[in-house]
Amino acid sequence: MIDRIRNYVKTFSITTAAVLFLTPFAANAQTNSASNDRWLHVRVVSSDNKGETVRVNVPLELAEKVLPAINKDRLHNGKITIDRHDMEDVDFRALFDALKTTKDGEFVTVQSHDNDVQVAKQNGYMLVHVTEKRWHESKESKEEKMTEKSRVEVKVPMKVVEALFSAGKDELDVLAALRALSAHGDTELVSVKDGGDTVRVWLDSKNSAD
Amino acid sequence: MILAKIALGAVGTLAVATVYTFREGTIRVDVDEHRQGGSHVHFWVPAAAVPAALHFVPDDKLQEAADRAREALPIAEVVAEELEKYPNVEFVSVDSQEEHVKISVRDGKVYVDVRDHEDDVHVAVPVSTIRDVVESVANRKQTQ
Repeated sequence: MIDRIRNYVKTFSITTAAVLFLTPFAANAQTNSASNDRWLHVRVVSSDNKGETVRVNVPLELAEKVLPAINKDRLHNGKITIDRHDMEDVDFRALFDALKTTKDGEFVTVQSHDNDVQVAKQNGYMLVHVTEKRWHESKESKEEKMTEKSRVEVKVPMKVVEALFSAGKDELDVLAALRALSAHGDTELVSVKDGGDTVRVWLDSKNSAD
Repeated sequence: MILAKIALGAVGTLAVATVYTFREGTIRVDVDEHRQGGSHVHFWVPAAAVPAALHFVPDDKLQEAADRAREALPIAEVVAEELEKYPNVEFVSVDSQEEHVKISVRDGKVYVDVRDHEDDVHVAVPVSTIRDVVESVANRKQTQ
């Protein structure tokens, strides 16, 4: 009888110890299931004397879960309420509806003394290129010479833009856009070059920026 | 012989208690101020002790904390739950000549490391502890 009790105690002790020791490893094994996630990366490299580099890596799944929990100011349930006044009364939804149904091509080209702006649709992407110009007076010819001050390139899948405008009239559905983005392949979304400063926003399946 | 059994029992109990206490790892805080006379704070506590200690916090104090964190609590709940899916990730890093900031998760712990010319701050908290604390505060808020 005593031997049986001793065996029970022994078995119970070993099992308890094993459970206590292995629980953290089991938790880790469970957590590795998120390795196939889509990741949004932001990298900002500044060329000032501090030489600052900022790297942000966000799993889209995490962003999708967190966004609906944020209810502050204009952001509610993953949607941003937009003020028409802020958009200078431009109906972006109507613009997008028109853009969606048209064939690939360049739709807007604005060339001015200070900026060049191009908006185009190509292979399922909406492309926006903005170039800010800087003018110098050439010493030899005394003519003005143009150099590129900054360049912004935005490349957003049309499905993401469509999802963004899928909410109410004066709302942007950021959550729907994130979901549409997570279904998309690797892509560079934003690239900014301003002097020596660069900003990159891109999407891939790696959990680190480099 | 009896003494040996008692000793074995004591050591076994101590071992099990130690394993139980440290099953969730430790919370570590290191703060070093570089200025003259600056403080140096280094401590660690078993993470499992924190949720237990919360039971001894007076209701009104916990309610006060819950009220202050009213807006942030739902976000913290989701983040704490989701972070467990990402055991080894560097979420944010800022590097410059003057400062280095890193927020990462390694082996199920959230690390916040800040180094600049004034001070070094390193904090490590297990994700499970963050989740337990947030859940405790949220549950206490619901029962009020």
